[in-house]
Amino acid sequence: MENKPNSACETCGLFNADGLKKLGVKTDDFDFVVALAGNPNTGKSTVFNALTGLRQHTGNWPGKTVLRAEGAFEYNQQKYKLVDLPGTYSLLSTSEDEEVARNFILFGKPTVTVIVADASRLERNLNLVLQILEITNNAVLCLNLIDEAERNNIKIDTRILSKDLGIPVVPTSARFQKGIPELIQTISELANGKIQCKPRRIKNIPKNIENSVQKLSDSLTKEYPNISNSRWIAFRLLEGDTQIIEALKTGNIATNEY
Amino acid sequence: MNYNPITALAIFFGICLLLYFAFRPKKGIYFLLKSMYKQKDKVIIEDILKFLYHNQLSNNSITTIGLTNSLNFSNSLIIESLKKMMDNELIVLEKDSYKLTPNGNEYAFQIIRAHRLWEKYLSEKTGFHKEEWHERAEDKEHELSESEINKLSDLLGNPRFDPHGDPIPTSKGKMKSKRGVSLSSLKENDIGQIIHIEDEPDIIYKQILAENIHLYSTIRVIENNHTRVVFHSEGEQFVLAPIVAGNITISVSEKNETLEENIARLSSLKIDEQAKIVGLSKECRGESRRRLLDLGFVKGATVAIDLLNPLGDPKAYYIKGTAIALRKDQASKILINRIE
Amino acid sequence: MSTKNIDDIIALSEELRWEIGDDFHDNLAESIYSDASKIVEDAVTKDNNKSKFRLDAKIDKIVTSRIWGFPIMLFILGAVLWLTIIGANYPSSMLAILLLDTIQPMLKSFGANIGFPWWLSGFLFDGVYLAVAWVIAVMLPPMAIFFPLFTLLEDFGYLPRVAFNMDNLFKKSGAHGKQALTMSMGFGCNAAGVVATRIIDSPRERLIAIITNNFSLCNGRWPTQILLATIFIGAVVPASYSSLASLTAVISIAVLGIAFMFFFSWALSKTVLKGEVSTFNLELPPYRPPVFWKTIYTSLIDRTLIVLWRAIVFAAPAGAVIWLISNIYLGDESIASWLIGSFDGFGFLIGLNGVILLAYIVAIPANEIVIPTILMLTVMVTGVAGGVGDGVMFELDSVSATADILRSGGWTLLTAVNVMLFSLLHNPCSTTIYTIYKETNSVKWTVVASILPVIAGFIVTFLVAQIWRIFV
Repeated sequence: MENKPNSACETCGLFNADGLKKLGVKTDDFDFVVALAGNPNTGKSTVFNALTGLRQHTGNWPGKTVLRAEGAFEYNQQKYKLVDLPGTYSLLSTSEDEEVARNFILFGKPTVTVIVADASRLERNLNLVLQILEITNNAVLCLNLIDEAERNNIKIDTRILSKDLGIPVVPTSARFQKGIPELIQTISELANGKIQCKPRRIKNIPKNIENSVQKLSDSLTKEYPNISNSRWIAFRLLEGDTQIIEALKTGNIATNEY
Repeated sequence: MNYNPITALAIFFGICLLLYFAFRPKKGIYFLLKSMYKQKDKVIIEDILKFLYHNQLSNNSITTIGLTNSLNFSNSLIIESLKKMMDNELIVLEKDSYKLTPNGNEYAFQIIRAHRLWEKYLSEKTGFHKEEWHERAEDKEHELSESEINKLSDLLGNPRFDPHGDPIPTSKGKMKSKRGVSLSSLKENDIGQIIHIEDEPDIIYKQILAENIHLYSTIRVIENNHTRVVFHSEGEQFVLAPIVAGNITISVSEKNETLEENIARLSSLKIDEQAKIVGLSKECRGESRRRLLDLGFVKGATVAIDLLNPLGDPKAYYIKGTAIALRKDQASKILINRIE
Repeated sequence: MSTKNIDDIIALSEELRWEIGDDFHDNLAESIYSDASKIVEDAVTKDNNKSKFRLDAKIDKIVTSRIWGFPIMLFILGAVLWLTIIGANYPSSMLAILLLDTIQPMLKSFGANIGFPWWLSGFLFDGVYLAVAWVIAVMLPPMAIFFPLFTLLEDFGYLPRVAFNMDNLFKKSGAHGKQALTMSMGFGCNAAGVVATRIIDSPRERLIAIITNNFSLCNGRWPTQILLATIFIGAVVPASYSSLASLTAVISIAVLGIAFMFFFSWALSKTVLKGEVSTFNLELPPYRPPVFWKTIYTSLIDRTLIVLWRAIVFAAPAGAVIWLISNIYLGDESIASWLIGSFDGFGFLIGLNGVILLAYIVAIPANEIVIPTILMLTVMVTGVAGGVGDGVMFELDSVSATADILRSGGWTLLTAVNVMLFSLLHNPCSTTIYTIYKETNSVKWTVVASILPVIAGFIVTFLVAQIWRIFV
């Protein structure tokens, strides 16, 4: 990451409150698509509502949002369409909601992916974060429920986390509207290329698998020099994902570049 | 309106009875009619091929009598089919016993491939209980065409073993071989891993299932004599009759490096105890397995009981910062190492 | 790029997959988690002494305890239902006065003033408007109370504990503990209950929950039960016990519904649904104080109004149909009375009558208009005095006047008992059917969910009628 880490105090001065307009469901004519992903029950829908001004119901219940919801906001004369993906623990399985989330990040080509994580249960949430970082380059980690984490005496060094993950990290407490301006500012900087991400790739994979992944990934990049997530496609091929195989055959993967 | 309510009730129960006889599972008239319409001769030929193949593996020679005694078809049908098979060069008769020709061998491989792939499919992608896999695959193996079988194999990610631990032949006839000995032939203190559970005959298979014995779990034999076989596995003790133990195949460990005693099932964890997860049992399959992995039940994770249930089951386990409730049968498929 | 190269890549992947074996998924999942724990070690510091969520743990100990778990649960759910049913009475009657007694006559005189022909004003104001107004008056208040209360419990985090407590019971019938919640939601509205099954992420158990949700007696059916129990059941015991007896009868019907729900869950999981994938997992999230007003607001917008809107959309054409069949004549008989005549035989066999069956057919869109339709059709067939006539639905303020009309329509205690049973056991309303289709995306399961309860209803009412006639 070339830019400085986005801790709250550094960016809040930059935030231009007058430039923000919450557009609700008016999602036509947008400049950027922003995907909102995250584990169930991390307050993802609350973040969505805070960004768009919508009031989608948010239960304290894993798995409320099954279908994707869409909303929009405008910031500094640029319109952002926000897509709230179903909350999932992972993107590796075959359940319907995971497919929706996985396919949107892979084929929907969002400009920025906001990954909402529960700060008090970070380790569990990183499982999904690391998977998403294999698929997309442009992402920001929204460390939500930071107030809950603080109450439970959990301290998170966002600088280190941001460095480890290679993406900006923004602590928020969406229920109380905290950190949302910083999040919007970061999204806008990512969308306009002012921050470059260097997302972490999954390490610690057993040798024989790593070799197979490497082999596949190499032949994929030979075929499609532009794709950045050849490793993820290799994972899916080894998993036998028929949708990916289909996408390769139809050439859908080839256009998946940022 | 005048009518006799007793007559009305009698007619009602009459209709119920008729429906029962028409649609009761397996023996209902509907199912009998359905099975009559199937291609009978194809089924017989394929069953004979399978039977010969399995016996050839164990070097039994099979005569016509042997076939008619073991297969559940009328003698005339079997003899008719045998003639057809010889005409088509699937089998040859050598000294009164039948042998598979290379063609016949290949055909038998295809059926076995279809059977085992279908069992794998049922175990991974459906919710059928494992008691039902074998029987359903027995029907399905005759219905799948070669291209369907290959598609199925792709869909499943070209698996190498079926859910009982039997190798699945590839489309080119490659098959991973498996070496093992019967559990009933082991000595005291032998340590090994269960690599295969035979699903035939049905009665014995059901007994093994009822004992909750898991494929690929490590075992240590405690006692073996002509009345019973006793072994330890995953923190529990199992007692089997020798005839039942004979249907379980063990791969014996050369060095006694696997410390079987330290492995237990998560279901045996008590409140205030802590444990590290060793892995998931191979019995945990398909979507449930992936879901458990997603939830963080992976090797090395620390786990403890978070909440007991007023009705005993499920229990909530505290793992990676969250309480997750699991039912007992799920917890019994998660292997742990207690932390003292 | 060439297709040949792509085929080569796919072939390579298949070969590699065979080589690395069946453990690929496990290994990958493990690597990701071990990576995650390394990152956490770096970036997160935890004060372990003050460890985990002490208040949470305390609440959890109580609400899942052997002694208090179930009493607390029954108390809370009972209180929510009681508040809903009792609390809705007052606003419901106010809405009825406003929409039915005030606005409807105004509309009719407005129609007369600008010279509407009788059929147009009848069709619009006696048919369409009346049905819609009825649905709003009966449906809106209980839903506006029930959903916010339920949503508050949900946001607080209590509901997953209910699922946790109840899971063992539901497991025995092949269902998921979370079905306890979708079932409770069904007491408010079956359509909302069906939508709520989204929280069940196991395909088999979700289908079970969807198909059996209709066995929860919904808000639209409670008034029917209470009315009939008051008139007929309350009358067979001494006056001092009559309210107790009718209350017991209504609760028994609701409990019977739960029994049917368990039975059909079990039967479905053992037969048609046994091949569907089944997984179980239940996360118990930390408690969070709900943001009160926001919760009230979103639950009104999200659940109440959406469900109400759907009901209105379906009720309007139903009102039109009801008015049309009773005002279009074939020869000297209206369609309605002709239909009633042809249903009478079957109706009698199952202890009901043609009027009731026709009312249930035309009132598929909304259970709320069943009683008004029955009253209107009874008056039309028997010719007794009551209502405004001309095929206009009505309800009476006085319970005894309602009882008189029903009795003159040939109702006995058996009829009342069987209508109560049939009100529990019949097809879901069209809003729910539509919702089931949208949630399952399958015609097959929609048909199963719609037909199954009616068949159960026919069988149960038939058996009750025969046994009654043999012994009474």
